[in-house]
Amino acid sequence: MLNLYLFQILNGLGLGMIYFLIAVGLTIIFGLLNFVNFAHGAFFLLGAYICYTAVSLTGNFWLALLIAPLVVAALAWVIERLLIQRIYHLPHMFQILVTLGIALIIQEASVMIWGPVGKSVAVPELLRGVLVVGDFVYPYYRLFLIVFSGLVGLGLWLLLERTRFGALVRAGSESTETVSLLGTNIFRLFSMTFALGVALAGVAGVLFAPLRGAQPFVGPEILGVAFVVVVIGGMGSFSGALVGGLLVGVVQSLMTTLWPQGASLMIYGAMAVVILIRPYGLFGRA
Amino acid sequence: MSILLETQDLELAYGAFHAVNGVNLKVEAGTIHTIIGPNGAGKTSLFHCLTGERQATAGAIHFDGKNLMRKPAHGRVGLGMARSFQLTSLFQNLSVRENLRLAAQGRDGARALNFWRRVDSQREHLEMADQVLERLQLTARADTLAGELSHGQQRVLEVGMSICSKPKLLMLDEPTSGMGIDDIPIMTQLISDLGRDHTVLLIEHNMSIVMSISQRITVMSHGQILVEGTPEFVRADERVRTAYLGEAA
Amino acid sequence: MSEKNPLPFAKTQSRAMLLWVLAVLIGLPLILPSATLATEILIFAMAALACNLLLGYTGLLSFGQGIFFGAGAYCAALLMIHLQLGLFTALLGAAIAGGFLALLVGALAIRRTGIYFVMLTLAFSQMAYFVAYTLSDWTGGDNGLLSVPRPEIRLGDTVLLSLADARAFYGFVAVLFLLIFIGARRVIASPFGSTLMAIRENETRASAIGYDTRHFKILVFVLSGAVTGIAGALYAMLLHFVPLSNIDLAMSENILIMTIVGGTGSLFGSLLGAGSIVLLGDFLSDLWPRWLMLLGVILILVVIFMRGGLWGGLASLFEKVRGSRKNVVIAKEEGL
Repeated sequence: MLNLYLFQILNGLGLGMIYFLIAVGLTIIFGLLNFVNFAHGAFFLLGAYICYTAVSLTGNFWLALLIAPLVVAALAWVIERLLIQRIYHLPHMFQILVTLGIALIIQEASVMIWGPVGKSVAVPELLRGVLVVGDFVYPYYRLFLIVFSGLVGLGLWLLLERTRFGALVRAGSESTETVSLLGTNIFRLFSMTFALGVALAGVAGVLFAPLRGAQPFVGPEILGVAFVVVVIGGMGSFSGALVGGLLVGVVQSLMTTLWPQGASLMIYGAMAVVILIRPYGLFGRA
Repeated sequence: MSILLETQDLELAYGAFHAVNGVNLKVEAGTIHTIIGPNGAGKTSLFHCLTGERQATAGAIHFDGKNLMRKPAHGRVGLGMARSFQLTSLFQNLSVRENLRLAAQGRDGARALNFWRRVDSQREHLEMADQVLERLQLTARADTLAGELSHGQQRVLEVGMSICSKPKLLMLDEPTSGMGIDDIPIMTQLISDLGRDHTVLLIEHNMSIVMSISQRITVMSHGQILVEGTPEFVRADERVRTAYLGEAA
Repeated sequence: MSEKNPLPFAKTQSRAMLLWVLAVLIGLPLILPSATLATEILIFAMAALACNLLLGYTGLLSFGQGIFFGAGAYCAALLMIHLQLGLFTALLGAAIAGGFLALLVGALAIRRTGIYFVMLTLAFSQMAYFVAYTLSDWTGGDNGLLSVPRPEIRLGDTVLLSLADARAFYGFVAVLFLLIFIGARRVIASPFGSTLMAIRENETRASAIGYDTRHFKILVFVLSGAVTGIAGALYAMLLHFVPLSNIDLAMSENILIMTIVGGTGSLFGSLLGAGSIVLLGDFLSDLWPRWLMLLGVILILVVIFMRGGLWGGLASLFEKVRGSRKNVVIAKEEGL
């Protein structure tokens, strides 16, 4: 019994870390760019698909783990330049509608390229198999997931806290005007930030691929969870994305064994409650 | 003379900081009463408490004999209070006449929820709008979109909207804010004119206007009333002179 | 008082607009291959119209319209299947269901503004979906409700008109649409309607001149929900089936897309939007299963380049034609 709960909690942590990566990307984009990205889930699934293709071509998951986020980032950069830059000044409503359109395009394009049925991605050879501790058994890959996501999160934190780029992103979240006065090319900063945020979703997609494959229609579900995490954790907050992601992941995992629909109900109900009671979430600024 | 608006030990605290720190304001009916003071003196915060934009943290507000403390902003209109904004706040994409008509309709309260009657069956609001247009000398611009007016005209419309609900008290927040030197006399004239049939409480920075049209001046500093009295009295007061008026006196 | 109507949407335009609507209602079944398709257009035009009351007139972006659409469909279907209630009772029930849910959703959602308001409607939409999924004893869960009847129009025990024929049903829906359209125009031309637009323009100012904006927003939600519920009920009767997808987020998104593409500036836009999207889908979905991609492109183009939607485009075309004629007149008068 205890093993079952431990199993689910670890699953929840893994899922939570994936949610963290997606959410932190979303929150960075919102924090600096004040931009609501409804296409975030679509970039997640794109990451999974590009991973699939990369693995099919090279047979190497690790290469895919490197390539896929870069490809997603590059695509995001192009979209940002062509489209997103035009709509920063528009109210959130319009940003939602445009990114909704982008999400639709990406979703349908994915089906066109890879077909309507999902593609499975094999767990890399190195990580196949299970860890055995007494009578507790846990897949290596899922452990890797937690650790690797943690490392990415740490890297991101260092990037934000210790590098000039990160300082600009954080300062820009407070006031883009000041940052541009400091001589920074604000448009390039925006593009890079958008690409970074989306790339994180792409990484999450890659990590998720060996678990459930690449699916064309998961975009809305992932987007929904991402927003739940961001709202609960606090818009624009790094630690909020982490804590929120883990909370949601663990709750979802535990509830899935008992009552799957209840999990979704609880999660969206929690989001509604947070917005009504404390809209800036756990760690967000008012 | 009767007191129309009165506050007792009014306080607005943000944590440890008291923006309004024990204010006992008395506004006599039928007067033009101006609040002045340096930036951060608490004028705007006091205004927010009076208009209902902020909930005062302590003290009392009485208007026309009624206790205002729990009344939300929209509820104060029905009692006979009206306000204008320092940062122009109009219905940009609606015509000038419609802006005024809506302001006149605002006093209807719950009756405005009627979704079946035709708007123009309510002649009284349209007539009020037209009357105010005359008073503002904007009749020629009745069908212009509010957003297309010049800044000076928009400030005048700002004030105009506040009279549409036939209020007893007009609360004007820096009505001449941002107005050019040519437009200011228009506003001054308007406010003096309004003072004949309304009680006017205003915040102003422009000292020449303050001195010329006010019947009573309250000087605030650090969230409290420093000095209060007629323009001559205030002008002569040493504390005010040194702290605030300087060469403009 | 001058001739020109003080409201933003000129009266003279409206009278002509009514004729246009009549023309469309009469013309649709004649032009289109099937009356069922024409009925589908009107049903979604109703939903888009209700959505536009929130979006175009009050400035509220609601991702929750699917809640009311699905609830209306389920309610009507259940009333007809289990209680054998007739046509108008089922529609009334759907309107009440939609209106009541809208009251709940609206009262909670309007406690926040901007992006948080949108998020709330989104959260409620998801919750409604999962509730509908879970209550599969009532809703049929993933399978939906089957064998939904299409009752006749009857007075007491006498059958006045059977709606089994697709054209007869279209006629019925068309009459309902016309009534709702006229009603909506009335609402917009009322003190309530003018206040909605004030709230859209500047909510703080609206509050400052005496309107309790919460009451207005809740009431428009209720009206929107009731109409959307009716649309959902009609859809159930059209398909004889209530799928779970009626209440999912994609339905809310589709309704929003139709509202925006059609143009939020006028009620007629909702008819245009529903018509174009439904026809596009019907036409393309056989040719190209991935036609949703085109929808995404259209959405982006409309928002960036043609925010007034199809209606806005038509309106500016009219303006240009009228304007150039006016310029000729002015030029003549000034002796140029």
